[in-house]
Amino acid sequence: MRPRQPEILPARLTRQRIYVLPTASGLFFGFVLGTMMLGALNFNNNPALLLAFLVAGAAQASLFGAHMQLSGVVVSTIAADPVPAGEPMHLRIALGAADQRVRRGLRVAHGDAFAHASFDSHGGTVELRLPTEHRGFLPVSRIELSTVQPLGLARAWGYVWPNQPLLVYPAAEAQAPPLPTPSGDAGRAQVTRAGDDIHQLRGYRAGDARRSIAWKASARRDSLLVREYEQHRSEQLTLDWQLTTGLPYEQRIRRLARWVDDAEREGRRYALALPGQPLIPMGLGGPHRHRCLRALALLPGETTRG
Amino acid sequence: MADAKPRSPLMEGHSRTLVLLATVACLLPLLLQLPRSLGIGFGLSALAIMAMSWRQPIPALLRIALGIGAFVAVAAVAPGIGRDTACAVLAAMLALKPAETFSLRDGRSLIGFALFAPFATFLLDQGPLSLVLAMTAVVLALLALQQLARDQAGVRPPSGARWWSPSTGVLRLLALGLPLALAAFWLFPRLPSPLWGLPDRVVARPGLSDTMTPGGFLDLMNDDSPAARVQFFGPTPKPEQMYWRGPVFWDFDGATWHRIPGLQRLLPAELRTGPTQWDYQIELEATDRDQLIALDVPTRVPDSARISNDFSVYAADPLNNVTRWRMQSAAPLALQAELPDILRQRALALPRGFNPRTLALGRQWRREAGTDAQGRSDLAIATRALAWISRDFAYTLGVPLAGRNEIDDFLFDRKEGYCEHFSSSYVVLMRAAGIPARVVAGYAGGYRNPIGGYWLVLHSSAHAWAEIWLPERGWVRVDPTAAVAPERVYDTLADRQPGRIGSFTGLVPMFNASDWLRRGWNDFVLGYNAQRQQHLLDPLGMANLGTRGLILLFTGIAGLALAWMGWLIARGERERNPLLRAWRRLGARYVRIGRGRSAHEPAQAWAERAGADVPKAGQALRSLSQRFSNARYADGDAGAAEDLRHLIRDIDRHRP
Repeated sequence: MRPRQPEILPARLTRQRIYVLPTASGLFFGFVLGTMMLGALNFNNNPALLLAFLVAGAAQASLFGAHMQLSGVVVSTIAADPVPAGEPMHLRIALGAADQRVRRGLRVAHGDAFAHASFDSHGGTVELRLPTEHRGFLPVSRIELSTVQPLGLARAWGYVWPNQPLLVYPAAEAQAPPLPTPSGDAGRAQVTRAGDDIHQLRGYRAGDARRSIAWKASARRDSLLVREYEQHRSEQLTLDWQLTTGLPYEQRIRRLARWVDDAEREGRRYALALPGQPLIPMGLGGPHRHRCLRALALLPGETTRG
Repeated sequence: MADAKPRSPLMEGHSRTLVLLATVACLLPLLLQLPRSLGIGFGLSALAIMAMSWRQPIPALLRIALGIGAFVAVAAVAPGIGRDTACAVLAAMLALKPAETFSLRDGRSLIGFALFAPFATFLLDQGPLSLVLAMTAVVLALLALQQLARDQAGVRPPSGARWWSPSTGVLRLLALGLPLALAAFWLFPRLPSPLWGLPDRVVARPGLSDTMTPGGFLDLMNDDSPAARVQFFGPTPKPEQMYWRGPVFWDFDGATWHRIPGLQRLLPAELRTGPTQWDYQIELEATDRDQLIALDVPTRVPDSARISNDFSVYAADPLNNVTRWRMQSAAPLALQAELPDILRQRALALPRGFNPRTLALGRQWRREAGTDAQGRSDLAIATRALAWISRDFAYTLGVPLAGRNEIDDFLFDRKEGYCEHFSSSYVVLMRAAGIPARVVAGYAGGYRNPIGGYWLVLHSSAHAWAEIWLPERGWVRVDPTAAVAPERVYDTLADRQPGRIGSFTGLVPMFNASDWLRRGWNDFVLGYNAQRQQHLLDPLGMANLGTRGLILLFTGIAGLALAWMGWLIARGERERNPLLRAWRRLGARYVRIGRGRSAHEPAQAWAERAGADVPKAGQALRSLSQRFSNARYADGDAGAAEDLRHLIRDIDRHRP
């Protein structure tokens, strides 16, 4: 039985959900063996018959073998780091086995993406590169596990349909204007940022974050320079949906995504205000970025929005 | 079309080598059975093509030219359409196929196609060499398939793998399939008679043929392969009584002797025999002819054979396989005492214008002996001829090509030859003297294998002798060759002992043993047929199974074999460490009571948990797990083997 709806991981391939059919070469092989058996039976040619039966026995054992390669395989978890739409997502699938058998060359496929895994009772991991197109949840459809081992005469396959959402961030806009000037709510004086302002850089001191090193400038000066963020800490940037008025809907999302990345890169704290959602308060760093991009990714589509 | 489909991935170098190796292995037994020129030619072409096409495919035009060349070669060496030429064409196609083998799919189809070759080999020969080569070829073919399947899935051999470790997988599959294969072999209902006949060969096998031309036995007499094996029940004839009767030749055209085909359909002639009946089972190698051989004069043969008027035995179908025949024979006292005139004329006929000196000598001896109704003069002439031959003639295998008056040349000039010359000249001389005579071909003598106690008749024992017809006694065997060189006829010469090389006899026991094994194989496997299948369970008291019973039995046993196969595969790979095996057995006992160890749980943590649930055995379990952990993970020391044995024993004794 193939799963008709997503299931909770870990999912185990049991006998009932494994299919076995001969491959094209298996069919040809069967035809050859059938001809040999028919001829040998007709002429009562015992060595030929014995040979044909021996090979047929091995082929039959390989059919069982293919089935047993799949039977007992457990898909324990799947995981993937979110990526911007358009970039391939690396889906890691952790496999295990409920028995002691060694699995060789198990093919794990999702859509057009596939990879092969070999593992013993300690389990193993495969990584699939899934193409992404749209922001939002990437629908994980059935993952197909299949094998043609040991002889390539029969193919056994089964499906696992994990109900695990995989998040795809919106693609950041490629050509975007610089970050908007911080809003005045914070009530602090603003320093305009200019790209070539040397006074914003200072020499490296032990303990400075690597992220803050200005590599290009350092290369020019032949000594490590660090961006001076002191002014920036005072900048309270709110990335507001309203700032992008006038752009097409999806482009607004992409621009905000770009700004989130820019702010992260420059180390500026930022908040995100999206329509119909509570404001995501000021913050900086991985979890904050994820929270913002996730909110952007999961904004309803234009059509549903009406 | 090729563009629309994604191309099958290319084979890797290692797999390609393996595929080609398997192809060569499949081809080899077939090539050995083809006429030598074709075998060597195709073998060399196959190797050349494999070498040439290693980097890039051979152009289509050249491939077509090679294909046509192969057909022409087959037609030139063995013109005609037969089993052997069909096999030769198959071999040629297989030799050409590697020219276009690059992708995985090509490799697989080449392997599938190559499997036809060992099969075709068995249509031509079922000997042990073919069998061993064919089995090797099949193992290699499966190995190549396995390698292709691994390539497809990108499976790399584990780091510690030896060169032979892939073959364990294939041998394991064969072993797993073996019970099913054997059940099918012995129980799958056989056809009592073929649905379609086996095409004949164009190039005949060595053996007794339907005609005899003096000089034609030479190949046969140099062939030390077995023609028949005979097991006697009860009395055994003496070696000089062992005349294995084949075809009987009546008509002579000056060069060649022929049978009278019509005699096959007549009932055997009237026969009076001595008291001794020889009861025996004769096992004949395949000859592709319907001619059987029988001791001296056959008196009783199985239903599927018949005795002709001149006491040749013929089978209903050509002998394409090893066959077994239970027969009875006896030494005749009077064989066809009343000779019908029409046969008498045939037995006296001589071709006009051949061998004038022999005819003159026959007539001269008749004049000197006179005539009488009791045949005393006939006997005198026959004895006189025998005495002359025994005195003046010599035995040799080195004989020049026959001239027009071959009998004259032999009797008056050359005075040396072998059985065909002696017997045909003797018969012509008798006919010239007015005594009805005919030539009988067959085998003489035999070699008793002390292992198994059966008699082996080799092709090299092929023989021809004469029969003359005397009033009241009928046909009487006269062997002029035996008068000259009895040791050559009855194989009593020590240097003709099989397995002996010159004076070195060390290999004789090995020959005996191997021939005994071969006989067992013939008996057990090659000679197995529908009839014997019906009587398979006779020893168990289930007489005559019938097709229905066979199918039931086959289904049942095949089911068992499949279940066994499934169980063995499901069991997975056996843990090599005996301690771990014992520990898992222990774990399985706890699983049964629902206290199994979880995958993440260390042994001792589990023992604590499970031990608490099972108070009775808990303490023992904790102590066992402690000892287990120590044995597994603590640094080993001397004397550990003894402790390990005790630990395994204690683990196995433990019950929750």
